[in-house]
Amino acid sequence: MLPSNLHNVKKILLLGSGGLSIGQAGEFDYSGTQALKAFLEEGIEVILINPNIATVQTDPLPGTKIYLYPITTHWVTKIIAKEKPDAIVGGFGGQTALNCLIELNDSGVLEKYGVKNLGTKVETLKTTEDRKLFAEKMHELGIPTPKSFACHTLDEAKIAAKEIGFPVMIRCAYALGGLGSGFANNEKELTEIVRSGLANTPQVLVEKYLLGWKEIEYEVMRDSVGNAITICNMENFDPLGVHTGDSIVVTPSQSLTDHEYQLLRNTSLKMIDALEIIGECNAQFALCKETSSYYVIEVNARLSRSSALASKASGYPIAYIAAKVVLGYDLLELKNPVTGITSAFYEPALDYITIKMPRWDLEKFSQVDRKLGSTMKSVGEVMAIGRNFPEAIQKAYRMVCEDPLGLSKSFKENYEETESSYLPHDDRLSVLYQAMREKKEPKDLNLATGVDKWFLTELQSIMTAEKEIAALGQESFSELTIIKEKLENLPKETWQRWKSTGFSDEQIAHVLLKSSGIHHDEKVFSLQIRKIRTKKGVVPHIKKIDTTAGEYPSHSNYLYFSYATQFHDTLCDVKENSGVIVLGGGAYRIGASVEFDWCSVNACKRIKESGLRSIMINCNPETVSTDYNTSDRLYFEELNLERILDIAEYEKTKKIIVSMGGQLPNKLSRSLYENGFEILGHSYETIDSSENRKKFSDTLDKLGIEQPKWTAVRSKEELTQFIKKIGFPVLIRPSYVLSGAAMKVAYNQESLDRFLENASKISPDDPIVVSQFITDAREIELDGLAYKGEIVLSIASEHVENAGIHSGDATTVVPAQKLYVETVRQVKNDAKLIAQELKLHGPFNIQFLAKNNLVKVIECNARAARSFPFISKVVGTNFAKHATDIMLGKKPDIHFKAEDELNHVGVKAAMFSFSRLKGADPVTGVEMSSTGEVGCLAKNFDEAFLLSMESSRLPLPKKGVLLSAGSYKEKIKILEFLPVFLKLGLPIYATQGTSNFLTEFDIPNTCLAWPGESGYDVIKAIQDGRVDLVINIPKNQKSQELTRGYEIRKTSVEHSASLLTNAEKTMAYLKALHRHEEFYQNHEPTPLAEYLER
Amino acid sequence: MRKRAFLELSDGTKLEGYAIGAPVKSSGELVFTTAMVGYSESLSDPSYFGQVLVFAYPLIGNYGIPTPPDSKKIHDLTPQFESKKIYLSGIVISQECKEAFHWTSEMNLDKWLTIHGVPGISGIDTRHLITKIRDSNGLFAKIHPEEATKSLIIEGLITDLGEKFFDPNIHNLAAYASEGERLLLGKGSTRIAVYDFGVKWNILRQIIEQDCEVELLPWDTEPESVDCNGWLLSNGPGNPSHIDGIQTKVKKLIYKQEKPILGICLGHQIISLACGAQVVKMPYGHRSHNQPVTEIGTRKGYITSQNHSYVVTRESLPSDWEVWFENVNDKSIEGIRHKEKPFKSVQFHPESAAGPRDSSWILKDFVKEVKKHASI
Repeated sequence: MLPSNLHNVKKILLLGSGGLSIGQAGEFDYSGTQALKAFLEEGIEVILINPNIATVQTDPLPGTKIYLYPITTHWVTKIIAKEKPDAIVGGFGGQTALNCLIELNDSGVLEKYGVKNLGTKVETLKTTEDRKLFAEKMHELGIPTPKSFACHTLDEAKIAAKEIGFPVMIRCAYALGGLGSGFANNEKELTEIVRSGLANTPQVLVEKYLLGWKEIEYEVMRDSVGNAITICNMENFDPLGVHTGDSIVVTPSQSLTDHEYQLLRNTSLKMIDALEIIGECNAQFALCKETSSYYVIEVNARLSRSSALASKASGYPIAYIAAKVVLGYDLLELKNPVTGITSAFYEPALDYITIKMPRWDLEKFSQVDRKLGSTMKSVGEVMAIGRNFPEAIQKAYRMVCEDPLGLSKSFKENYEETESSYLPHDDRLSVLYQAMREKKEPKDLNLATGVDKWFLTELQSIMTAEKEIAALGQESFSELTIIKEKLENLPKETWQRWKSTGFSDEQIAHVLLKSSGIHHDEKVFSLQIRKIRTKKGVVPHIKKIDTTAGEYPSHSNYLYFSYATQFHDTLCDVKENSGVIVLGGGAYRIGASVEFDWCSVNACKRIKESGLRSIMINCNPETVSTDYNTSDRLYFEELNLERILDIAEYEKTKKIIVSMGGQLPNKLSRSLYENGFEILGHSYETIDSSENRKKFSDTLDKLGIEQPKWTAVRSKEELTQFIKKIGFPVLIRPSYVLSGAAMKVAYNQESLDRFLENASKISPDDPIVVSQFITDAREIELDGLAYKGEIVLSIASEHVENAGIHSGDATTVVPAQKLYVETVRQVKNDAKLIAQELKLHGPFNIQFLAKNNLVKVIECNARAARSFPFISKVVGTNFAKHATDIMLGKKPDIHFKAEDELNHVGVKAAMFSFSRLKGADPVTGVEMSSTGEVGCLAKNFDEAFLLSMESSRLPLPKKGVLLSAGSYKEKIKILEFLPVFLKLGLPIYATQGTSNFLTEFDIPNTCLAWPGESGYDVIKAIQDGRVDLVINIPKNQKSQELTRGYEIRKTSVEHSASLLTNAEKTMAYLKALHRHEEFYQNHEPTPLAEYLER
Repeated sequence: MRKRAFLELSDGTKLEGYAIGAPVKSSGELVFTTAMVGYSESLSDPSYFGQVLVFAYPLIGNYGIPTPPDSKKIHDLTPQFESKKIYLSGIVISQECKEAFHWTSEMNLDKWLTIHGVPGISGIDTRHLITKIRDSNGLFAKIHPEEATKSLIIEGLITDLGEKFFDPNIHNLAAYASEGERLLLGKGSTRIAVYDFGVKWNILRQIIEQDCEVELLPWDTEPESVDCNGWLLSNGPGNPSHIDGIQTKVKKLIYKQEKPILGICLGHQIISLACGAQVVKMPYGHRSHNQPVTEIGTRKGYITSQNHSYVVTRESLPSDWEVWFENVNDKSIEGIRHKEKPFKSVQFHPESAAGPRDSSWILKDFVKEVKKHASI
């Protein structure tokens, strides 16, 4: 072998992707973390810029410098000037990093500082991003692209559409996750989409719409010598038209012939060779079902969500190898670390099927359009592995809905089909399944949806098995003993068929009980079913994912279970109880994402360091926890009792950690406890007494700790009486059981009535929880660790916003800025009492309200909290690591800097993705709506706040400001800070009421009309781009759908104007803006470690 | 109730599954492929003669089988097929697809197997079987459908199976896989003679596409009787040393003439033997679409389609020949070439079908070279 052409690199700048948002999420923690590892192994110093403080990649490792700064040309340039890296890589941080890299190149920064762009050339990046250039390049190669026209104005778009003929597809250039794209059936729809598209990007593409074509993707890797491989291909369950991020995606392709497979593979290789891609790239194709002809849709010249998925689906460590390739290694000289013996120049052979299913959480948003199209809306995803399609898709559906009943739950008594049932939307799979229950045939459903008949026929086989199970129930004369007898006498073959069609024990129990009309506990029955079938030898088998389909022996520890097999793959023997199971967080969703992955990864690491075997269970392909080298054993599996029991039996351990993966694993603690698991850390009793609202409330009463008044009401009368006692506003939770879901604040009788009408029935069986909603209070969180009831580490943080904004959406600061010393004392004291009483033993988070030095406790979570990575990095003490020590039985000896010893301030801000959620009211409230977070450090609050605002995509306004501030109280609050706009030379526009107010206080402004009134209106001003910051503070924080305020907010989001809807956050922002200029120019970027050393 | 079938291995293993295809008993050498697509091409590949093929990919038959070739014609080159019949003794799969919807699909896998009288077994843990093959030194298998009343008969080779396992490697299989008559295909002023040891159609297609005429030669054709511009020694089944008299013929090509020669797979092994190199059996061969090879002296790699049990040993290669390609994973020889003369051969399948087409340039270059020679 000839020696490789390694670049001489000593210091490399790695660009991250910033806060998680729709279209750019946890997958970039996976890719960045792998790249980091690959670089560090080579002895290269890595400078990482990423304000996403909750990620694994921003953990300070030896050899790295972490900059928690916005990924913008300004800050990156400053960091380059300071650090003088030899090279930069932009392919591991999504569209954000890529765009930044292009800007750095074009503005001459890279040249000025002699920074070499490793990996794909900027010129190529531009070709792949600019759709017209791309199409031209493809045509040179003789590769077909759909007929399309690049348009810069609406008129151009109209002409193009006429030329192509409706329906047309509109795409935006340089946009992540297909933002702003869509289909138009007529000129009106076209106008709407193009107008909003051109607000975000300079160019839109109007294209031929390929209705019903298959969507196929290939993941490709190419080195600098020109060697190239395809890692795997993927076939979308949903035909072309649904963004691949919102599609159910199957790997490898299922319905393609060798001819089609090789045709598209060959085309992929030809394209990336011509484009001279170095590293990884993704190619998307449309394939005609009737002729096998194809078009190239797009090429992403970087790691993407699809490559993270492909990496997990194939077992090939794409990001790691891509990072080595970028350094100049060629594929032939690299080994595939998963097998240790095969070359990295190897195309994985899969002997299983994986199915990715998106998770949307659209129900969290009022008014949101649930239809799916070319703009991605999902916030997370799961991946399921099986040996056949039904097994895998059933797993996937259970994973994504976090319900062991999976598809069988979709049974609806009065199923009504509407015209839109079959259009792509977030619940289409269960609609299809339900339709099959109603005897709809695959061919009809294929006509209605365009989903390939192969997939539909496979889906139907699940229904056939379900009907067989139900038939057994129906023949049981409603006698449980008869069912059991029948189950015991059932041939093994039938059992095997049910289980290998993907049915969980709970599903079988549910279908049997439902069909027989027996009232019996499904969970209890499912465990009996487990016994019956195990006795018959119907058990799942462990299979390895090794990239070679078994061709070579490998030590791979990447595992899954299947019933469609008869033998276990051999694994090394384990000693009884030498392993500790860590439950991961499952799909990212609103409320639980990369933070919990950070906790899980750190737990695994610590378990390994303690000489024990770490056993990771998770099902989310976007995570670091599911990387091949995070744990000793990786089970890419369901997080439910049935599967955990299987794993525990196989691994001979009952030791389990449920407190690091967020609410999902925590909810499993009861059934795990009942099934003899040793829950490490907090005992089950402790978890229960903090989770159970009544028990916890009683504890607080016993301890004499204040709490907002609350009650569970079982009738309207009880509700009215309670409100009579405490008055409005009240916080209503529709379910006693589910915390945080669909919470609403009722400010008066009218909003209460509306809520009751829409959302909830009250009955003795379904009580709703009503509590006092305290306004104008501060909210404080205490994150900590306890050892046998004694707090050994705790840090308090304060919300910038007043109470009433969900802690996940709030801007959080450490150390607290506005709290009385007495408040902090009370907080810590209450926490101490709670820890003692609940016998907390592990990680916890307690939330408090404080008003006039009166502290009330809102809730206590006996588990790691979302805020753990933020707090850990701000104070320089790894909460997850110490928490794991406690759970493993060690009393930690922790020396940490208390809040008042810090020489810096950390501010965490939420990232919102409203721009993708068409129709959603972009306002924050008691329900969480953010999709990610960023955290920045600086020497004072204002500076840290400015950095975190910029990181969360709230750039400095440059054009104009629109003020439309609700109540007089709110207006007064922000008044004193408004002169900053005069200082910045920004024109102020205002709606009538606000304008009068401003004029009264001598603040020059332009009054704009409300929409519908005569004259130039606010909506136009936003649409025309006169305004790039909108301050719209709704009265009472309630979401006033269809009001004028909603119109303003919605339009701001659609036209990429920054939006502030909270008075306190606005105040903080405006106050900090005074310092902006000086800070922006003079601040010298400081790496995380340097703050912590001070 | 689904019909049962049993799979018996030469190491004593017995597995139970479901019968697919023809209800006949059958036996052969147990081999596996990790290819995820291309079952119609694999099943019709004559190189699999006498073998029982295990598919690693668990779902087979998803896109059905297109209208099969006309069995009356010798080589009609129907797309998605590599010959007019199924040469395998049987297939072992995890799950078969009963209904396919691809626009080219005409029948399902089960029916096609039945038409050709070939049995299969499904419901088998094929990954488990593959690790067995991998860790053994060669395995033979018998498929026994419950309903079978007769055995798969191959005239002259197998008349009745009885208790024995059929070992194809001790026979001259080229005699069975090669068509018995000389035949001209395609049109062009250049003629390439193809020694047919069980040639795959895609080799023929790719030569014909380049405006050449192909003369197909039965395995025992004397080279003196042929008038051509270049020689191609095809792929085919079995042990290269059992093809009676072939080495004498190929030696004539190597030592007595200078027209370009290309050997593919079995053809490569035959050339190697003829030039004096040794060929040994590998423990479990290469059978997949993802075999990485590299061209010696370059940093270039190609992903190739492979299907072979025998391999040329490096140390036995005579000094006037050199290694052209080697396997990136196990470093085994994947191609050799004469240091001066236009004689080359490759172990992998540049014609692919099924599999990646990365190395198709080899066939193109060969045809170019033949044309160049023809014009001298």
